[in-house]
Amino acid sequence: MSWGKRLKRILPYFVMYGVAFLWVIPILWMADTAFKPESEIFQIPPKWIPSHFTLDNVRRLFAEWPFLRWLLNSLIVSTMVTFGSLIVSTLAAFSFARLNWRGRDVLFLILLVFMLLPWQVNVIPLFFTMTKFGFLNTYQGVALPMMAMPIGVFLLRQFFINIPKDLEDAARIDGCSSFGVLMRVIVPISRPVFAAFGVYMFNFAWNEFFWSMICLRKAEMVTLPVGLKLLQGAFEIDYGLILAGAFVASLPSLAVFLILRRQIIRGFTLAGSGMKG
Amino acid sequence: MWGKFGHFLYRHRNLEGILYVVPFLGLWGVFLAWPVGYGIYISLFDWNPLKGSKFVGLANYVQLFHEERFWNAFANTFKFAGMTIPLIIGLGFLFALMIWGWGRSRRGTVTVQSILFFPYLLNVSIVAIIWKWLLDRDFGLVQHTISRIFPSAPVFLTDPAWALPAIAFATAWWLAGYRMVVLQAGLEEIPKELFESAAIDGARPWHQFIHIIMPLIKPSLLFTLVLTIISAFRTFGQVLMMTEGGPGRASEVLALYLYWVGFDYFQVGKAAASGVILLVLILILTLIGVRLLGLKSELQ
Repeated sequence: MSWGKRLKRILPYFVMYGVAFLWVIPILWMADTAFKPESEIFQIPPKWIPSHFTLDNVRRLFAEWPFLRWLLNSLIVSTMVTFGSLIVSTLAAFSFARLNWRGRDVLFLILLVFMLLPWQVNVIPLFFTMTKFGFLNTYQGVALPMMAMPIGVFLLRQFFINIPKDLEDAARIDGCSSFGVLMRVIVPISRPVFAAFGVYMFNFAWNEFFWSMICLRKAEMVTLPVGLKLLQGAFEIDYGLILAGAFVASLPSLAVFLILRRQIIRGFTLAGSGMKG
Repeated sequence: MWGKFGHFLYRHRNLEGILYVVPFLGLWGVFLAWPVGYGIYISLFDWNPLKGSKFVGLANYVQLFHEERFWNAFANTFKFAGMTIPLIIGLGFLFALMIWGWGRSRRGTVTVQSILFFPYLLNVSIVAIIWKWLLDRDFGLVQHTISRIFPSAPVFLTDPAWALPAIAFATAWWLAGYRMVVLQAGLEEIPKELFESAAIDGARPWHQFIHIIMPLIKPSLLFTLVLTIISAFRTFGQVLMMTEGGPGRASEVLALYLYWVGFDYFQVGKAAASGVILLVLILILTLIGVRLLGLKSELQ
């Protein structure tokens, strides 16, 4: 084999692994710092292998901060958002996709426009609304606006529309009401898209920062992203503790990703290409 | 009883359809649509819930347009978008091409793809903490390495000209993986036969790229572009946690400006007005994006 040919065979590996290596460095460095003794965190030049590993940063994180509570808050909020939006979006998407009623298409177009709006546009009035309801610093206060996002309606409608009409007609002939059609025909064959949307929504709620930061103002009520902000704000320079926090906060995502990698990537792909239709 | 109810609904089909939408519409109306309208309303007032609000017409907007700090944030938002959008989409597309073109039948592809995608699953605080630490002026790994190779390199996060580009790059590290996955799916959908027959006709890889890949990947690219425009213009967390808009106001973007005006200075009317401006901006840009690529039908 000539050198040119050999190079041509090796080059793709070289580039692919090289890029992946560069991309993973930030994560490795985070983990590395989290387990380093303080004296070696602040060392020039930076050193990859510490003289000894220490759990001190992680220990302080759990001892001095309600970190477990933050984890629990995140879990509760994300679960509420996922199931809440799954239910209301399924009902609405079914109606938009399979039922005919006056004003349907206009309403759908309005939703389409609203899907593009960022939090910043409505956050101040939303804050007042939540204050009025007494929902500041509560789980429902954070979760309800996220459940109201139109994205699920779009995604599910796109899928429901492509289900053959024959299936529905057969169920109708068998005496199914529209709700029966939804529960017995549409829902059972839509599991993959429910899973995809569930993954997307859970991840969205798990990582949501802007609204959570504004709605949750008590240290024991905040979710993980906001908790990390508190951690950073309290100790600008205690990098050992801050990075231990970031590291532990990324472990759940990492664990779930390692177990369900294929489903997660497929979920995001589906959520992505489903919206572009 | 349910049968009768079902029959009643069947006869009133309009009502039936609306009934299914009500739960969602209730949430959406109260927590999304109403606040947007209310925000536009507030932006016309000198808003003060305690002392009473005064209608001021467009005074808040006029005040914004005369404020240097607002225009600074406005310009920074565009600068940031101009850097981060090409970075995210460019890297995402390159990664997608790489995995799609080279990945098949090569060992380790799954690992490479997973590593490139994983940062997307991290929340913005984690991303900001990691990169602030990597770019720390004294002890940051990346800052140190770059300064060693290029002794005249700036200290990125404290240099007014480099703070935004640094945040833009951190954002690309975070988000490019998701774009890769969406674009890769778009590439997989291109029929293989097209490439085979093109190869037989003697089309070089570059021509295949221009004449086969680009036209067929357009819908995915459009979707990615819209997604990225929206996320670029509402950027908040990374900036807040990496520089707090600094040094000075060199990296203060509109979302951050709005947050401080509204929740730090409690100039609610003015913050609402800047929210409306942000809203108009995003709507216009999205429409332009859709139009430019001439793919209006594909969004529906």
